[in-house]
Amino acid sequence: MRPRSLGFLLGSVILTSLFLPAAFGAGAGRTAPDFTLPTASGPLSLHDQRGKVVYLDFWASWCAPCRESFPWMSSMYAQYSKEGLVIVAVNLDKQRDLAESFLQDFPAEFPVAFDPEGKIPEAYGVQAMPTSFIIGRDGKIVSTHQGFESDRAKELEHQIKEALAR
Amino acid sequence: MKRTVARLLTVLGLLLLIAGCTTVKPWDRDLLAQKRMSFNPTPMLQAIDEHIYFSKEASMGGIGVGGGGCGCN
Amino acid sequence: MAGPPEKRPTVVRDALHTAALALLLVPATVQAADSEAGDKIDLTWLQYGEQSRTRIAEPVVRFTHLMPDGQSFSAQLGIDIITGASPTGALPSGQVQTHTTPSGRVVTSPPGQIPTAPFQDHRLSLDADWKRPLGRLVITTLGGHVSREKDYQSLGANGEVSVDVWHRMMTLTAGGSINHDSVFPVGGTPAGLSDGTILHSSANAKRVGNIFFGASRILSRKWMAGVTGSRTFESGYLTEPYKLVSVMNDNGQPISELTDKRPSIRNRTSLLFSSVYHLTDDVLYNSYRYYTDSWKVRSHTLEIRYRHQLDTDTYIEPLLRFYTQSAASFYTVGLHDGAPLPDFASSDYRLGRLQTITLGATYGFAFDDNPGNWVVRAEYIRQAGDSSPPGAVGIQRGFDLAPPVNIYAIVVGYTFKY
Repeated sequence: MRPRSLGFLLGSVILTSLFLPAAFGAGAGRTAPDFTLPTASGPLSLHDQRGKVVYLDFWASWCAPCRESFPWMSSMYAQYSKEGLVIVAVNLDKQRDLAESFLQDFPAEFPVAFDPEGKIPEAYGVQAMPTSFIIGRDGKIVSTHQGFESDRAKELEHQIKEALAR
Repeated sequence: MKRTVARLLTVLGLLLLIAGCTTVKPWDRDLLAQKRMSFNPTPMLQAIDEHIYFSKEASMGGIGVGGGGCGCN
Repeated sequence: MAGPPEKRPTVVRDALHTAALALLLVPATVQAADSEAGDKIDLTWLQYGEQSRTRIAEPVVRFTHLMPDGQSFSAQLGIDIITGASPTGALPSGQVQTHTTPSGRVVTSPPGQIPTAPFQDHRLSLDADWKRPLGRLVITTLGGHVSREKDYQSLGANGEVSVDVWHRMMTLTAGGSINHDSVFPVGGTPAGLSDGTILHSSANAKRVGNIFFGASRILSRKWMAGVTGSRTFESGYLTEPYKLVSVMNDNGQPISELTDKRPSIRNRTSLLFSSVYHLTDDVLYNSYRYYTDSWKVRSHTLEIRYRHQLDTDTYIEPLLRFYTQSAASFYTVGLHDGAPLPDFASSDYRLGRLQTITLGATYGFAFDDNPGNWVVRAEYIRQAGDSSPPGAVGIQRGFDLAPPVNIYAIVVGYTFKY
């Protein structure tokens, strides 16, 4: 192959690999990996939530969009918990006091679990901060959402209602 | 000589980009998320400095790039 | 003996104007900046002074409107008030030399000292830019610039695109700008390398085009680095109309002066390496820039800053900058009487061999009962060249042709979000 064509081919391969969407890890339809994490009111296990719809959110105090997601999650919890919605917000701060400081500004009515070593997001293949998963009553992942934007909140609420209806 | 220097620097630049393919996990970007972890944390001050040096020297400022950060959203 | 040159005005000034400044606006970053929409005002004031030379006061106000979707509009107004004196490029002589300004003022230069001439100018500049995210990974920016002063006008547009790739570990940026400038010297445009005969009184065009590519990547949880390559193409009127080149006799005595003349094309290349490293509590910033252009100027710039955080809103950041440049190919100490005229010649010290050292510190703080953030930067800059370059002959060997210039720059900035 001529050097120029080889260079072009190599360049395209490198460029394409840079742009490959990060779609690894726990995908829709798969069983959500189980976990047990400490919370303020004792350990919380995912398998105990079977039969309920779980909105699993991975967050940290330094993640700016989390300032918007928390008030929204609180309102979702207030509206749908009686229908069987459980929200678990897993904090990934390396220092607990940073998380506590955030929670003082953005209080949570729902359980906040702590995983400073990042073992659970690893198992879930988290690619961005924040990332949330809607887990159905059967323990299977319904959908994954990278990031949080107020415009997409309506769509998320719709998916939660759908999962609750099943 | 000048060409060699330029070529050397270009290679160095490429090496910088390719060297080390370990990813930093999204939840390990706590330090990178800080506002001061930026190539240009004080743009107004930077612009003034570049303005001064441009007037006093023959060179023209290389433009810096964005990057790093927490990769949120 | 150098008498006053033919009645052409010899107001000389350092050119703070330039199209390229449009490129120095806030670059796009793909950091998750404050996701809260709102407005922001940045007020900045620069107070600049060179020992016995130029003084500048420069207030700048910038207004930014950030929308919930991440889009932002920004507009900036800057005013430069420049006064002082700067070297004409002419050589010192054993006697007193005199120069005439356009206003008719006669300025004398003491024997043995580099002749300078006073000037005064005001510059107004307006910049606007629009930043727009496309999806999660891309940011586009478009900007415009307009500036005007007594003898210079600049119009420019710039744009850039920034993309996060590879799990957002790397950011690629590409951008460019075009500028159309006009130079209209006070009193008309003089012929280059002449006694100053005025050719015409209309404006001279200068076009500047720039493209740049950059890549930055995260190297570890604490470290990010980047490299940017930039190419700039200038064409048109690139001469400094008020600068002079001395013609000296065999003994180094300046006997007459000719006007500066520079090529009408200048292509520049620069390569910038930057690094940001987070230590236990503090952050270390490093950058190195290599620059070269078609006028044969080559320079190296090294800058180090160390940010020490005192508390959430307070920090102190000392800085150190080293700069060295080699002379342009047509830079000359002075021409020799009787020798054939070169194509181009300039004695502007800014095109000669020189070194600049900067020592400074920035202090960022906020007041408890005040919502804004303050920043104060003080810099001491010292610039020196070749006191006795190879071209200095005869009596010139006894003069310091590039005495060190001591410069201070103080900047006060205030940012207020609402």
